Amino acid sequence: MASKKSPSGHFSILYFAAASTFTGKATEHLPAPVKASELFARLEERYAGIKEKVLSSCAVTVNLEYIDVEGDEVADLDRVIEEGDEVAIIPPVSSG
Amino acid sequence: MAPTSIIESLRQQIASCEAQLRDLRSQLAEAEHSQKEQREQDRLRHATGPSSDPLGHDMTYGIHDDFRSEVFAVLSQVEDERPPPRRWPLDRHEYRRYGRQLIMPEIGLQGQLRLKNASVLIVGVGGLGCPAAAYLAGAGVGTLGLVDGDTVEESNLHRQILHSTGRVGMTKVDSARVALNSLNPNVRLVPHSSRLAPETAISTFQQYDLVLDCTDTPASRYLISDTCVLLGKTLVSASALRTDGQLMVLNNPPRPPGDTSGGPCYRCVFPKPPPPESVVSCGDGGILGPVVGVMGVLQALEAIKVLTRATQSPAESLSAPPPDPPSLLIFSAYSNPMFRSIRLRARKPKCAACSAQASVTSEAVSSGSLDYVQFCGATNPVDALSPSERISVENYAKVRLDVNPFTGMEPSKDSHILVDTREKVQYDLCSLEGSVNIPFSIVSGTSAARARWSDNSQTSGEQDWVSELRRHPDKPIFVVCRLGNDSQLTVKKMKELGLDNGGQRWIGDLKGGLRAWRDVIDKDFPEY
Repeated sequence: MASKKSPSGHFSILYFAAASTFTGKATEHLPAPVKASELFARLEERYAGIKEKVLSSCAVTVNLEYIDVEGDEVADLDRVIEEGDEVAIIPPVSSG
Repeated sequence: MAPTSIIESLRQQIASCEAQLRDLRSQLAEAEHSQKEQREQDRLRHATGPSSDPLGHDMTYGIHDDFRSEVFAVLSQVEDERPPPRRWPLDRHEYRRYGRQLIMPEIGLQGQLRLKNASVLIVGVGGLGCPAAAYLAGAGVGTLGLVDGDTVEESNLHRQILHSTGRVGMTKVDSARVALNSLNPNVRLVPHSSRLAPETAISTFQQYDLVLDCTDTPASRYLISDTCVLLGKTLVSASALRTDGQLMVLNNPPRPPGDTSGGPCYRCVFPKPPPPESVVSCGDGGILGPVVGVMGVLQALEAIKVLTRATQSPAESLSAPPPDPPSLLIFSAYSNPMFRSIRLRARKPKCAACSAQASVTSEAVSSGSLDYVQFCGATNPVDALSPSERISVENYAKVRLDVNPFTGMEPSKDSHILVDTREKVQYDLCSLEGSVNIPFSIVSGTSAARARWSDNSQTSGEQDWVSELRRHPDKPIFVVCRLGNDSQLTVKKMKELGLDNGGQRWIGDLKGGLRAWRDVIDKDFPEY
């Protein structure tokens, strides 16, 4: 799942654990730019049901930094995922 | 059935006791050996001490003053162990045992003393807790508390490295004590042989300096994190499933709720629990031993880092370097790179546990008014079908094996369709002859309404199984899975897709799944 450099006009997205199981993918490239606050809606269009079943409890990172896409931090909501960014969808893993 | 199971259980108990006995014998031998060795060395030291000393004191005038006290000490020595004078901060055997880490600047004498004075609580003595406990005991942590209410099962052994074949059936806490005690008898082990509960969490955690979350449910993860915030303990939390793992050091530094300089807690990172139906256990989802092992070993490492950095005096705390900024380490065994470290935020301004607006209180936790199981959603056993849509394994066996009492027809596998909804890798392990494999992931991904998938190849693949089943409209469909849950949901989905021809064709599932089939019909069918 080497995160290859995304093609122009795209960002790369990494799916971990349950997100990878749901999408059947470890990584892919999606069109950029996209507002962070709209990321979940975009993913829901591609993978019906993913928002409720997976994303609602996930942590989201952009370039290895945690962002709060569903909270009320203005800086995060206004944030735009740009071409070449690396986004990760990280569901809580609770087993052990 | 009964006598066999009693015999089996007695055999297991005997095997487990014999294993314990073997362990005790080897511990005794080890202890006797080291005692003998120590006496030998004491004797040698006392015997050679004065003569090897090149002072050349003339003995005709009696013993040199410098040696007199030592000689008296030897003469007055009783055979029994006497406490050696505290000349060095660690015991002699401790310098030897911990020598390889003592000489590292990260540990040193002060670090080792901190480990020796520390107490660590390990919640869960399974795939994470076993390696974590082994390394912490090995490193000389003074006190280790072990919390677990389970007993050792054969299917634990590929990853839970403190347990052994002979100790299957023993409680995990007892089994871990045997293993840890033989690894390092200097560590005080405190057993807590029941599952962690909200009522006991605070009193259990109170006496420890640091907590390791090695549990396996969302509810316990929130309970442990909340308790650590309330008591001001740093928490090393890890988890693992299939090929993935996560590691976080939380509430580090452990400041009171509302203090923004404290480290984030579990709720800051994952404020919402995963939907209960999406939570997969290692038993259902699978786990690779080294994956969970890596995570447990990393927990021990982070614990050692936190403990050896811990400061004991206010003066020290001023000069001590601040702890690492909070991060979430993601391990993904089959990706490249295998490790990714995510930078986390400080505490969430509205966190329910560690912010100034916290609603989680000690009262709420220990009284049970904060219902963790409800917060995470209870997973009720699936009960989606009516009795007429379900068949017992006994009756299905008759369908397969018996001559039809009414028609006198020989049984035939062609008379019906048996659909097995386990994932392909499980189906390949073992399956009933004549069954068709349609994995539940494909079933659940098929939409009864027109599929809205952007990816065309997927759509046509999913349609295949539906059209295949449509081609035999007369044959009843029996659905089976591992335990009898997915099979019910599959029956529902098939009816939504109209495969029952408006009720003309019978579609139903096998109650209890292949587990019931093995228990009742075919004992040779593999259990995994």
